[in-house]
Amino acid sequence: MTDLTTLPGAVPDHRQRSPLHFAWRRFVANKAAVVGGAVLILLILMAVFAPLITKSPPTAQDFLGEALAFPSAGHWFGVDDLGRDFFSRIVYGARVSLSIGFSAAVFSVLIGIPLGALAGYYEGRIDWIVMRIIEIFSVVPPLLAAMLLGALVGGGYWMIIFIAGLFGWVQVCLLVRAQIKAFKEKEFVRAAQALGASPGYIIRRHLIPNSVSPIIVGFVLAIPLAMMLEASLSFLGVGVPPPTPSWGQMINTGMSFMYFYWHLAVFPTLALAVTVMATTLFGDGLRDALDPTLKGK
Amino acid sequence: MTAALELRGLCKSYPLRDPNGWLPRYRELRVVRDVDLTVESNSIVGLVGESGSGKTTTGMMALRLTEPTAGRILVGGQDITRMEAAALKPFRAKMQVVFQDSYSALDPMFTLAQIVAEPLHVHGRGSAREQTETALDWLERVGLHRSYGSRYPHELSGGQRQRVAIARALVLRPDVLIADEPTSALDVSVKAQIINLLQDLQAEMGLSILFISHDLSVVRSLTDKVAVMFNGRIVEEAATEDIFIRPQHPYTRSLLDAIPVLNPRDRRDRVFRSREDLEADIPRLSAVATGLPPAPTPRLIPHGPGHRYEALVQ
Amino acid sequence: MIPFILRRLFSVSVTFVIVSILIFTMMHSIPGGPFDAGDMPLPPEVRARLNERYGLDQSLVTQYINYMGGVLRFDFGIPFQSPGETVLELLGRAWVPSLVLGGLGVLIGTPLGILLGIAAALRRNTWIDYLASAVATLGLTIPVFVTSMIMILVFAVWLNWVPASGWGAPDKWILPIAAYATIPMATYARYTRSAMLDTLNKPFVTVLRAKGLSETRIIYQHVLRNSAIPMVTVFLPMFIGTATGSIFVEAIFRVPGLGAYFVSSIRTRDYPLEMALMLMLTVMFCLAYLISDILYAWLNPRIRAGGRKG
Ligand SMILES: Nc1ncnc2c1ncn2[C@@H]1O[C@H](COP(=O)(O)OP(=O)(O)OP(=O)(O)O)[C@@H](O)[C@H]1O
Ligand SMILES: [Mg+2]
Repeated sequence: MTDLTTLPGAVPDHRQRSPLHFAWRRFVANKAAVVGGAVLILLILMAVFAPLITKSPPTAQDFLGEALAFPSAGHWFGVDDLGRDFFSRIVYGARVSLSIGFSAAVFSVLIGIPLGALAGYYEGRIDWIVMRIIEIFSVVPPLLAAMLLGALVGGGYWMIIFIAGLFGWVQVCLLVRAQIKAFKEKEFVRAAQALGASPGYIIRRHLIPNSVSPIIVGFVLAIPLAMMLEASLSFLGVGVPPPTPSWGQMINTGMSFMYFYWHLAVFPTLALAVTVMATTLFGDGLRDALDPTLKGK
Repeated sequence: MTAALELRGLCKSYPLRDPNGWLPRYRELRVVRDVDLTVESNSIVGLVGESGSGKTTTGMMALRLTEPTAGRILVGGQDITRMEAAALKPFRAKMQVVFQDSYSALDPMFTLAQIVAEPLHVHGRGSAREQTETALDWLERVGLHRSYGSRYPHELSGGQRQRVAIARALVLRPDVLIADEPTSALDVSVKAQIINLLQDLQAEMGLSILFISHDLSVVRSLTDKVAVMFNGRIVEEAATEDIFIRPQHPYTRSLLDAIPVLNPRDRRDRVFRSREDLEADIPRLSAVATGLPPAPTPRLIPHGPGHRYEALVQ
Repeated sequence: MIPFILRRLFSVSVTFVIVSILIFTMMHSIPGGPFDAGDMPLPPEVRARLNERYGLDQSLVTQYINYMGGVLRFDFGIPFQSPGETVLELLGRAWVPSLVLGGLGVLIGTPLGILLGIAAALRRNTWIDYLASAVATLGLTIPVFVTSMIMILVFAVWLNWVPASGWGAPDKWILPIAAYATIPMATYARYTRSAMLDTLNKPFVTVLRAKGLSETRIIYQHVLRNSAIPMVTVFLPMFIGTATGSIFVEAIFRVPGLGAYFVSSIRTRDYPLEMALMLMLTVMFCLAYLISDILYAWLNPRIRAGGRKG
């Protein structure tokens, strides 16, 4: 080696500022997103510790004598038409809603990532096929198709997850595809190709890790979509079958009672509105923080 | 001795879709035409030419990152033009690349040690620990402290990133390096450092470099031989000093005229000529005077040892 | 431009055929036909006769071809739930309330949303910006049946200003129209705002300002026009949202429109009606898709040549 010694100024200092640090700062600056995240955490805790904070199981008709009772100190949200503590039902409803939302989001990501990666990396015929599939999914509104499918298979917890995932992957797939398309022209991918690395290796080691932001965003935004789908199907009677507590179902029941027993309509409506809203705000904030260029898309 | 890299009659055309047709109709956009270029072992060859003349495309074809439409690529005398990925892999290790944009040349999710170790990993050279060790040695060798191994590309300056890119390209000890404008994005002093680094490493490793550049002063100081590209063709090729002192093709002359000069008196008879003008101005030679057979299209005519330029023999 | 339209038309038609086959197959694989209802089992020979009469005993492919042949002659068959009329007559009846309420909702919601979005973009970080964001987020995230429920609870049950449901007297239309209007309003408020902000941040606007053009002229002559492109792309999701929303709006406000029949046809497995409704909706969505594509290309000459950019 010739006179190439270590350059001046090349002694490292340890103030490392990772991109995540800046993302976190952007996220914290977004009040709506922080509140949304806090509410979401609260809801998750509520769902996890449901047995500890409720006095009776959600399906137990322990209070038949007090059926339709208004909210009171004993029953914070009152009692429903079948003599069940309504607070219990709302809290356990969070379990159903959130678990369906998260599972469907996992499912969406599991379909969306590989398809988006393939379409984005190979372009050409594979991309064409994937885009036609997506086109089909975008001219069939998810809710209508979900109703048909729901009627077809008779609803049910796992079926809703399946249906929500079936329609939720499109968004994830498009996000991942766009990201991979943009990144595969980058020189570091060219350099890996010049090394003789296989497409599988390049997708796994380079392209997917560089797509974490859109994947996280796609994942979080798939949650409220699935929750909405579940509530909508349950509202129409083709979703989660009773007696499993589902907010959509409760709203449907509440509708028949709303003139006289308002609590049966108000609480599930608010619970659903707050949960979906908090998740969306959190997801939007995450998206803006992780990738400012995606804003408003 | 066989040449390190040889390009023979290399062509690339892209189908260009006619937007107004009822059915898709294509015509050919010929980006690189019939390029012959030899990079001898242990030498640096410059490839110069205006933007869009096809330099990058030629380099990418040599690396088999872009498939040529016609022609052959020989690495150390072996034809790699049609090799399958598996057969090609050992040759990939012999030929590496450094790009202009050092920012997008490094995966932002990898640490520098991972980046430099990746070629060893892909080619299965040594254990994971040895790979990291070699990578850190190389970081040191290109002038970065070993502790930089745990840093990420965005924490570096452009010049430092380019050093990392060079380390990654050389860690497999290739025979050929294709450097596509490696210094265009750097400021003058950093540029000089990178050029020195490349020069040192070349001498040390007996490397052959295809150096693609706009920057004629760098080319003059670094290369042994220069090829001038215009419109997808090589229009002149000669030993570096030869081409700078005795340019034959009008395009080469106009390219040399475009070098900024300090002394205004030297600017006297400079003319800036349009592309169309240059395209029309093909050197014409008489078949009788030169003793060459007349041909309907221009071709490369020898002009002294190692010097060729494009002309029409009539 | 015409080749572009024809190419898109072809691609959309292919999508339509695929979707119609999917729907047809899906619907016919729903376990149980319409005539094996649980509570009132029909004698097997009667059921066989009914199945034969409605062609349910033939192969799926034959049924599909027969069906599509009929569709081309506007023959959608007889709805199981009201055999006294044709599907076409029933749909003709059901269109009216959906079109009136949905149409009025879109007509009122769209300009409101656009105005709100423009105001929000021009007065960033003021109360009107926050209002627009709140409206947009609420309207886009909360399912329309929840918004409808909240409206009923507040305006009909609690304040008792308007009747909650029904179809007939125009005062019953107020709440459903308002519920419909939230969808385009929220969509347009959000996208107008971000499209305007995007344009306002473009270098050319800075150049116009530097040239000394008045802010009003910049906004009316340049920014609004340049913001129109993203706005057009919103048309499709907005349209789909409204059409889907009609199911819930009509179920909640008890309006005898298409959405209500959609729900009842699914509940009663009324194939002819269900199929006709799904086909109609698919045609509508395909057309909306096509129109938004064409508008987009028309406003944006750059993509006209290469087709739809992915
Ligand atoms: N994928 C492609 N499809 C169509 N045309 C292409 C494609 N890639 C390159 N070209 C065209 O080929 C020509 C040569 O491009 P190339 O990048 O090789 O030029 P260059 O000499 O490297 O220019 P620069 O000095 O600007 O880097 C350009 O006109 C470019 O537009
Ligand atoms: Mg180039």
